[in-house]
Order: sequence, then structure tokens, then C-alpha cells
Amino acid sequence: MLIVENLVKKFNNTTAVNNISFVVKPGTIFGLLGPNGAGKTTTIRTILNIIKPTSGKILFNDSVITDEFFNIIGYLPEERGLYRKSKVIDTIIYFAELKNLSRQTAVQKADKWLKKLSIGEYRERKLEELSKGNQQKVQFITSVIHDPQLMIFDEPFAGFDPINQQEIKDLIFSFRSEGKIIILSTHQMDTAERLCSEIFLINKGKEVRSGTLTKIRNEFGTRHIKLEFKGDGTFIKTLPEVAAFDNYGNYAEIKLKDDVNPSAFLRKIVGEIDVYRFSVVEPTLNQIFIDLIKKDK
Amino acid sequence: MHKTLIIAKWEYLEKIKTKAFVLSLVVTPLIIILFSVLPALLSQKEDMRTKVIGVVDTSGVFFNGLQKELEEYRIDNNQPNYVLINLSGRNKNLAELKSKADKDVLDKAIEGYMLILNAGTDSLKVDYRSEKIGSFKDLKIFNEKINKLRVQHELRAKGLNPEVADILQNNVEINLIKIEKSGEDGRPDFMVVFFSSFIFILLLMMMVIYSGQMLVRSLIEEKSNRIIEILISSCKPEELLAGKILGLSALGLTQILIWSLIAVALIGGAVIPPSAFENILPMLLYFILGFLFYTTIFVGVGSIVNTEQEAQQFTTYISLLLILPVVFTMPAIENPDSLLIKILTYIPLTSPSIMLLRLKIAPVPLSDIIITLAIISTSTLVMIKIAAKIFRIGILSYGTKPSLKELIQWIKEK
Repeated sequence: MLIVENLVKKFNNTTAVNNISFVVKPGTIFGLLGPNGAGKTTTIRTILNIIKPTSGKILFNDSVITDEFFNIIGYLPEERGLYRKSKVIDTIIYFAELKNLSRQTAVQKADKWLKKLSIGEYRERKLEELSKGNQQKVQFITSVIHDPQLMIFDEPFAGFDPINQQEIKDLIFSFRSEGKIIILSTHQMDTAERLCSEIFLINKGKEVRSGTLTKIRNEFGTRHIKLEFKGDGTFIKTLPEVAAFDNYGNYAEIKLKDDVNPSAFLRKIVGEIDVYRFSVVEPTLNQIFIDLIKKDK
Repeated sequence: MHKTLIIAKWEYLEKIKTKAFVLSLVVTPLIIILFSVLPALLSQKEDMRTKVIGVVDTSGVFFNGLQKELEEYRIDNNQPNYVLINLSGRNKNLAELKSKADKDVLDKAIEGYMLILNAGTDSLKVDYRSEKIGSFKDLKIFNEKINKLRVQHELRAKGLNPEVADILQNNVEINLIKIEKSGEDGRPDFMVVFFSSFIFILLLMMMVIYSGQMLVRSLIEEKSNRIIEILISSCKPEELLAGKILGLSALGLTQILIWSLIAVALIGGAVIPPSAFENILPMLLYFILGFLFYTTIFVGVGSIVNTEQEAQQFTTYISLLLILPVVFTMPAIENPDSLLIKILTYIPLTSPSIMLLRLKIAPVPLSDIIITLAIISTSTLVMIKIAAKIFRIGILSYGTKPSLKELIQWIKEK
């Protein structure tokens, strides 16, 4: 179990992380979400013991994280990069050895992973000769080859095509069922929505919302409507019942004010435009994210 | 320690495989050979032909003597090196002779000519007029011979034996002998002392600049492609630092070793005087400590800059500091006890190279060796601490360079 307690990190005059706390249990995927510059990377670096917190505690299985923890942590940074001129196999072995794997084990595991991610044929090639997606795969391997108990993935799907994204997703799921502690930091809300058991929304270094997706949805309200229509729908925005209106061309997403009955709202608009489809839906994490961050400003 | 070795091994093996390394291994000695051998070859070839030299000597005092004196110079096939032609016609005045001779030179009929004026008087004046101004060797010979003839001429005019001139030209050179033990001759050759001490400083410089720049470059690379984040989530910054220094120093050492081997193979080991290996133990100590000290400075610099251009500004200055002692080589050899040299001995930046020099020139008191070794090792340790701190924070700060105030804050941070 990973416990972050009242974590504060200040750089000179700016507070990058302002008193946040959360717990990640084994076998869960914890989504650390927030806009750019929210403090995600700083939080991750503190957990990794790369930088020291100004105050607060980070506990892993009830003990403070020290240099001993290097070998049980797997980290995939947001901005990727490997030694371009080095061979794929050499690179993987180097990082595996740095995580305290013996050379022999490192070679075995490297071959296993290369095969698993179907890039075995590139074993002896230089990194720069590989496509971007395959380079990403190599980097992914380096972050998990030592079978770490704590895995931190920063935007793990960036740069992958949909097929590879699915492959990586399946892998992360398999890590979850193996009981790993997984922290996932991403901007892709739909991915977070599908993967994460718990969400922590951070903005300007502070917690905005946290908890399970269901809990956050309930807190946010459920009066969301997906509407397909024909005609000039701009008037909807001006109706007193409407809290938010996003027109996507083919359809629109509408958030109603708390006391509004969706059926009454439908009756009101049906005379003005041709409604093809009207459904009350749960808000997407994307909507919640945008809404909360906007409110926070 | 284990991870330090893994990093050192990686840095060494990955860099040694690069094309740049292999290229520098071959190209640098090639350039040095080209620079040192080619001019010698060219000037030798220049000598391998007979040169036609004109003489304008209206008095006629020097021509015959000069012709005789220059006969001794021969080229390979026993042909004369110089053939003299008398250009002093009877019926022409000096101005005409001169313009005719100048034309001969420009027409390449002759190599050049000597214009001898006021021969036999006190105001003798000799010009060598030629298209080429680089014929130092010829000029030196002409100079010597003209002067000999001048002295002979004057002796004869005064009724003395002209052979006295030979006696006058036989100079005795004073040999310089360095005393280390009573009754034993030290190395007399100034050039040997100069070069054997010089070569160690040069090696130190080359290694520091080479490895230092490699280090900075590798740090910048890892910083810009964010590998650094994976690295320091795998090992302590100090381990990473030590590993890099170790690996890249080994690389620099390999390079210098190979270059030395090439040099020995080409020139032959016999050229290196055994005296070059005297005091080798303390010299090695100074070499290693000096190398470490400078390398850690490079690490500090490498961690605060983001691009190679930025790094260039810093590394240039550091390299200049290293070269500084070279400037003092001559004064140090001339006067090893001067105050300036004493002061420079105790400054960590210059201490290693100045001590390398002093050990070669004159016996250095043991107390000086102990004090300077203590100074360099302490400052190296302090520098490693400082560099590690700057490194720890600096490698994660992207974008702007930190101000001096921020740097001091980093160093103070626990």
C-alpha cells in the first residue's frame, strides 16, 4: 500500500504541491489527473524519491521510501527518450541491471518481453532505427522488466496507435490482477475512465476531487442529456434550465440545473427543433474534468 | 557501488563503439603527424635542388670568397646546393644593375640575389633580394659566410693573418648541468626537461578537456531526452555521477594510451628520455587528482546547462584555466622558486599542473608535496559534494539557467 500524507513541495516561492493526501491499494489503478502544470509530475517525483518533499510523508508498505526502494519502482516518464545510438537489447539490459537484475536474468526477461510485445526482430537494432511506437514499447519494457511492486505510468498511451494502446492497456490490467500498485497519470479522460478504479483530480497543486469514479459522478450530478437534433439549437443555451451546453454538430451535451426535470425540459424544446434522440446519461470524466477545472479558475 | 560500476561499464562500452570515438582515435594522430611531418618534408624537398643565386658586388671583394665558401653545401647527388652568378657588369651603374637583377628574379632566372653595398668599408650593407621571404635557412648560411669574409677582409687590410677569422667564429657553448646528487651529472638538456614536463601537462589537459566535454555532452543528452529521470529513479545521483566519471575517464585514458602507443610506434621509444619517468608516482597522483577535480567542475556545469551551446561557454573558460599553467612553463623552469610559482602551487585550479612542472625542474621539498596533495584532495572532495548537489537538483530543472543565488541555495539544501 502506498500512502501519501499531507504532501507539500515548494520551489523557492511557488508551491507546486499543496497538502495532498491519498492512498493506493495493491491491485488498483490510481488515476492522477489534472491539467498541465497542476503538480502531477512533482507528486510523482516525490513518490519516486527523486526530489525531497518540503513536508509530509510518503509510506510504502508502512515504511518511508528510501534509496532501497529504487529496485521495486517502475517508472515510465511522460517525455520518452532512450539512447538513440544504442542497441535495443543492450539498452533493456542496462536498465534492468540498474534495477538490480543479474545480467543473465536481464537477458532472459528482455527476450521474453520483446517477444511478448512482438518486437523480437528488432533485438539487435539501434533504437533510432525503430518506429516511434516500437521505441515506446522498448521504453515500456524498461519500466516493467524488473517486475516492480509500484508502477508509475505517465501518459503511457501517448504515441501508440489504437492497436498498441489496447495491448498496453491489457498489460496494465494484467499488472492490476497481479496485485501491483499502479499510478496512472494522463490527460486522456476516456482512458482514465475505463482503467482507473480511483481518481485523484489535482489542480494548482491542490486536490479538486478524489475517490471512485461512481462517487465523483454522484457528487457532480447526473442531470446530463445527450441530444441529437435538427434545426437551430442555439436558443437552448439561453434557456434558464440549462447550466451548460456543448454543441458538437451532430449532437449536443447539455447539463441541466439541479432542480430541472429532464422530461419537462424535453417538452419545452421539442416544439422548437426536431429531436431524433434524447437520453439522460452519466457525465463523462472529460466533462467533469473540464467543468471542475474551469470552476477552480 | 555496484550500480556505479554498471553505469561506468555502460558509458565506456557505448561510447567506445561510437563512430566519433573511432574516428578521433585515428584522425587526431593523423592530423598531428600531418602538421609535424609535412612541413619538414616540404622544406627538405626545397633543399633538394640547386639554387641559382646572383651577386651584385660592385667592389668585387666578396664574390670569389663567397663562391668558395658556398661550395661545401651539396645536395643528394653531390650537385652543389648553390650556384653563384656574378651580376656586377662593369659598364652599368648600380640602379641599372639592380633593376636588371630584380627582373631576373621575377623571370625566375635566378632564385634571388645578394646586393652588397659599400664593401670594404665600415658601412657595409648586404640585402638578399628574392621573391620568397621564407628562406631562413639560406639566409642564415649567407649571413654566416658574408660575416666570415668581412672579418677576413678586414684582417687582411690590417696586415693580419686572415685565418684568425676561423678562430673568432669558433664559439664555445656552456653546458648546463643540474645537480641532484654530489658528483652525479643531472640532465643537461633544457629541451628534455621542458618537453617531458610539458607533455604531462598536455596529457592532463587533453584528457580533462576530452573526458569533460564527453561528460557534459552525455549529461545534456540524458537531460534533453529525459533518460535522466529513469536513471535517478534507479540509483542515487552520487552513484550516477561516480559511474559517469569513472566510465568516461577510462575512455579518455584508453584514448590517450592508444595515442601514446601510436606515437611510440612511430617515433620509437628510444626518443623518450628515461628521465621522463622520474618521480612518476607523485606525478601520477597529481595527474589523477587534477583530473578528478576538473571533471567534477565539468559535472557541475553539465547539470545546470540545457544545450551544448550553453555548455560551450562554460567549458571554454574552464579549459582556459587549465591551459594557464602552460604559460608559466618557461618562467617556472627559469625560476622555480619565484613567488608567483609558489602561489600558483597552492591554488587548487593550477596546483596539479604547476606541481607536475616543478617535480621535473628542481627537487621539490616533501612538505610541499604533502601540502599540495592535501589541498588538491580536500578541494576535490568539496567539489564532488558541491557538484553532486548541483547535479541532484540541476538535472531536473529544465529551461532557464539558475542564477548564482539559486545555485547557492541548491548547494545549501540538504
